[in-house]
Amino acid sequence: MKRTTGQFGESILNSYSQIFFSDNRVFALMLLGVSFTDLYAGIYGLLAVLVTSLTGFAMGFDRNTVAKGLYGFNSLLVGLGLGIYFQPGIVLTLIIILSAIFTFFISVAMQGIIGKYNLPYLSVPFILAAWMVTLATREFTTLGISERGIFTINEMYILGGGRMVAVYEWWNSIGIARPLRIYFISLGAILFQYNTLAGMIIAAGLLFHSRISFSLSLLGFFTAYLFYGITGTGISDFSYSYIGFNYILTSIAIGGFFVIPSYRSYFWVVLMVPLVALLTISLSSVFAIFSLPLFALPFNLVVLLFIYVLKFRTRPSPSLAEVVIQQNSPERNLYSYVNELYRFRYGVTPVKLPFFGVWEVSQGYEGEYTHKGDWKYAWDFVITDSKGLQFKGEGLELSDYYCFDKPVIAVADGVVEYVENGIKDNITGEVNLVKNWGNTVIIKHADYLYSKISHLRAGSVTVNEGDKVVQGEVIGHCGNSGRSPYPHLHFQMQATPWIGSRTIKYPLSYYIHHEGESTFSLKNYYAPAEGDRVSNAVVNDLVKSAFKFIPGRDIRFRVSVNGKEMDETWEAAVDEYNNRYLRCSETGSVSWFVNDGNMLIFRHYDGGRRDFLYWVHLSLYRVQQGFYPGLKLHDRYPLNLYVRRWLQFFQDFVAPFFLFVRSEYQLFYKSTDSEISPTRIVLESVHTNRVAGFVTRETRSEIVITESGISRISIKGKGINIMAECREQV
Amino acid sequence: MEKKEFERPYIKKIRAGVPSKFGMPVQAEPVTHIDGVPVAELITDFGSPLFVISEKSIRRTYREALEAFRSRYPEVQFAWSYKTNYLDAVCRTYHSEGSWAEVVSGFEYDKALSNGIKGSQIIFNGPEKSRDDIVKATENNSLIHIDHFDELYMVTEVAETLGKKPRVAIRINMDTGIYPMWDRFGFNYENGEAWDAINRIMMTGKLELTGLHTHIGTYMLAVNAYAVAASKLADLAVRIERKYETSIKYIDMGGGFASRNTLKGAYLPGRDTVPSFDDYANAITGALLNSEINPGRLPLLILETGRALVDDAGYLLGTVLANKRLSDGRRSTIIDAGVNILFTSFWYEHEFYPAKHTSDHLEETTIYGPLCMNIDVLRESVAFPLLRRGDNFVVKRVGAYNMTQWMQFITLRPAVVMIDEAGKPHIIRERETVDTVTHNEIVPTHLKSE
Repeated sequence: MKRTTGQFGESILNSYSQIFFSDNRVFALMLLGVSFTDLYAGIYGLLAVLVTSLTGFAMGFDRNTVAKGLYGFNSLLVGLGLGIYFQPGIVLTLIIILSAIFTFFISVAMQGIIGKYNLPYLSVPFILAAWMVTLATREFTTLGISERGIFTINEMYILGGGRMVAVYEWWNSIGIARPLRIYFISLGAILFQYNTLAGMIIAAGLLFHSRISFSLSLLGFFTAYLFYGITGTGISDFSYSYIGFNYILTSIAIGGFFVIPSYRSYFWVVLMVPLVALLTISLSSVFAIFSLPLFALPFNLVVLLFIYVLKFRTRPSPSLAEVVIQQNSPERNLYSYVNELYRFRYGVTPVKLPFFGVWEVSQGYEGEYTHKGDWKYAWDFVITDSKGLQFKGEGLELSDYYCFDKPVIAVADGVVEYVENGIKDNITGEVNLVKNWGNTVIIKHADYLYSKISHLRAGSVTVNEGDKVVQGEVIGHCGNSGRSPYPHLHFQMQATPWIGSRTIKYPLSYYIHHEGESTFSLKNYYAPAEGDRVSNAVVNDLVKSAFKFIPGRDIRFRVSVNGKEMDETWEAAVDEYNNRYLRCSETGSVSWFVNDGNMLIFRHYDGGRRDFLYWVHLSLYRVQQGFYPGLKLHDRYPLNLYVRRWLQFFQDFVAPFFLFVRSEYQLFYKSTDSEISPTRIVLESVHTNRVAGFVTRETRSEIVITESGISRISIKGKGINIMAECREQV
Repeated sequence: MEKKEFERPYIKKIRAGVPSKFGMPVQAEPVTHIDGVPVAELITDFGSPLFVISEKSIRRTYREALEAFRSRYPEVQFAWSYKTNYLDAVCRTYHSEGSWAEVVSGFEYDKALSNGIKGSQIIFNGPEKSRDDIVKATENNSLIHIDHFDELYMVTEVAETLGKKPRVAIRINMDTGIYPMWDRFGFNYENGEAWDAINRIMMTGKLELTGLHTHIGTYMLAVNAYAVAASKLADLAVRIERKYETSIKYIDMGGGFASRNTLKGAYLPGRDTVPSFDDYANAITGALLNSEINPGRLPLLILETGRALVDDAGYLLGTVLANKRLSDGRRSTIIDAGVNILFTSFWYEHEFYPAKHTSDHLEETTIYGPLCMNIDVLRESVAFPLLRRGDNFVVKRVGAYNMTQWMQFITLRPAVVMIDEAGKPHIIRERETVDTVTHNEIVPTHLKSE
């Protein structure tokens, strides 16, 4: 019940902010306030939203969609529009209730019709409903046209007497440049408030909500303004109807909301806005016949067309990417997109190296010898000694080669699809071009994901077609069969199960890159290059068990934040889409993570920045669940996670073009009490923000892991001192 | 032109025409330099006799061994067997390569700690561990390898007293098809004693059974014995997991890999018959990988190889004291290094080399040490060129056991020098003096002269 009430409140507020593609509460309240500058319009707008939300919840529509205001905002626009045009009264109330429900139904229908093409319905339901009602109301004789908008000063006088009129006059006489004035009024016009004050409040709210949206609103508006100027179209038309909001909304939608903001999305704004202007002018002449206002029709047409067109690209560019997970803020969309691009480039099935120990890549992706054309995404591996040689002695015998006859293992769990085991090993220097792949094992790991390992020693393959194998299981031994002059291991990933299948780009999930004798780094979702010395990363049971976070378990902490003691409980859970998260029972903040048994990765955080869970999210952002003293694990935070708000504010403006703030994470494996069966391991992570190389913020966390799991977390930095002891896990 | 050396004439039986399968007897190649440092210079600088250790050789052999195992098995760890050579410089070289320490006494344990090794990286083996040793090892999180039931009871008692769970492994002896079977250390696999020990450990719950250890013998030439041992331990690990749901964290295969020295009585020279690290690695890892252990959870493989790692790195340098003819006409050469410092000459036919070029004429020679004891024979019979008094010789492959088992007897023990990777000699153990011997002696007052 409490949840429904909360969601109901959310649905009301979100219906307001959703008009500007936002879910910002403060912005919503500002818009709510603006809508009430015309009292009756405000009331009728709110009424329409209430009716829609009630209907939505009562009829059993998806609670989240209703709560997000996705149905409400069209009804709101209808309510506001009708409320401002007609005299208040019972008839109008009735009409608004009906049209709110009508708008809601259109929204749902549109969702069904174009939702399957992954298209939003924008404000189309509002436009349709508003036209229908407008046309019909001409016959409603009892419904009076409101004169409020026309005799403004009279109203002012009624409301606040002479003083109010004076203030109004003074306000209007302030020297705001004409274009800017039109900009503000156009903004206000979105809520049917044709005055600069409303526009200014909305602009301020927009700036508060999103710097990118704000700058896009200016870009869109002034591009159109310029276009009108150049084409010599009556600028008065432009200013009179304040149809300018079409350009503003188009700009925000194309430039930053449905597309990840980038220099290319801004470029398309500059191209599309004149198109909207063109449509506005041409459609006005059509709709003038029916004396119907255009409302936001040009915006809807162009934006829908643009988004639909983008979907048909066969080579989508990463710099003009559609938003997949809508976070209702261009900044959030951009930062998480950039971050995810950095953190998660490839697939979900973790693939490891097919051998034990340290091997060297003798030929990598697009290698100069054989990794070409359809087979360019493959690796060849050999073992080399400290002098870089692949063999001892003269290298004439196969057994002189370090890699010869070494065990070869499955790179991931799967089923053996194909085995070739009877091809003779070549003597050194000769190749077999007839059976060029030599002895080969192909394993199916997932749909459209196969690994192929070739040039195995004749008769060494220990698995049969149809066998189930697990990662790490020996499947054969390195040999010299096929097109292999010297013993080496060929490894590739492919989407089809055949021996000559083309390769696919599928980098390794995790591996250790040995840079020197004792220097190494952990690479993830990375393709080792020729000359790299690599080995598999190893998992530590203690660390692994500490981060299991079994769904249904509660972990209780005694936390002291800057000296303030409190209890905090995390609920480990998993949602219906198998997304796993930790939820703080006290604050309700949620931290989403993935854990494939090798790597723990915190992906997304929802909640306040003062919460303990927020700091844990930062502290354990990425943990390879092994123990590697001397290893530094790097990662980057999205810029809206750890960067201070004021700094982010400035970054936001230029974010589509360049990022001057770096927000980074580093993890160290500090100490262990035993290498074999540790009972206490200490990890340390450092979180750093840099602007042009200068550290602007740094905090450090120390995480103590014992057999009972995470036992202690301490976080220290400027202005933050957190000490948390795990009480129990239930 | 250099003046040629005079060599006394002698009569030699011609044996031409009957080469052995290895061809004609070869000329004695001299060893003039060790890692680029002239032998004569070493003796001038540090005295004679002199032990020399090559750091380069230690590191090269270690890496070769590690690579042999690491490229066949996911996790491998070497633990330096202290008793083989516990000179600090040697131990630290191994530790710097990543090797842990394997010790068999409280003394060695302390030495390992003083060499900067963490307690958790010390494996405590052997039948002799005092209660104090066990307490110390428990507190330092070391791995205690239990050898017999009395020790098991003691460790359990210590665990109770300290309230701490020591990490233990049990040493297991078994029939691996070799003779003689080593059954004096650890618990027997075949007669059920091993299970008895495991059950006791698991039932009391006072100890953490982390590993299984075996050491099947020493100077093992049969790699198959290791395969048998490894698969028996793997079976045990699987059955322990099945019975007690406890996973065994490591399998310690001990040591015993042969070095390339030739054992006395062996028909063929060691360097031709001894298996390589690859052979041992293949046998051991093959058995573990083919066992029933889940490939995703293979235990750490620990190896305690000593001899095979360090033997090649050690040289003994010395000087000829005299030559003489024995009653049967055989030549004998007396040198300044005796069996008391070259202890391994009791087991090996050590390879003696002249330190400079000599004539091609080799004569069957007996090499005697300097001790006034009949047993001081270093080689009964060796084809050796004539060296004169004051000439130097080199004995190869003496790195294992000599510098730990040597004894001060009649003469003082020589200095030990380590040549670093850059070819620079460093003295790592001073030559003993009279004071070294008398330091711990106490003369009762009544015997002290006025």
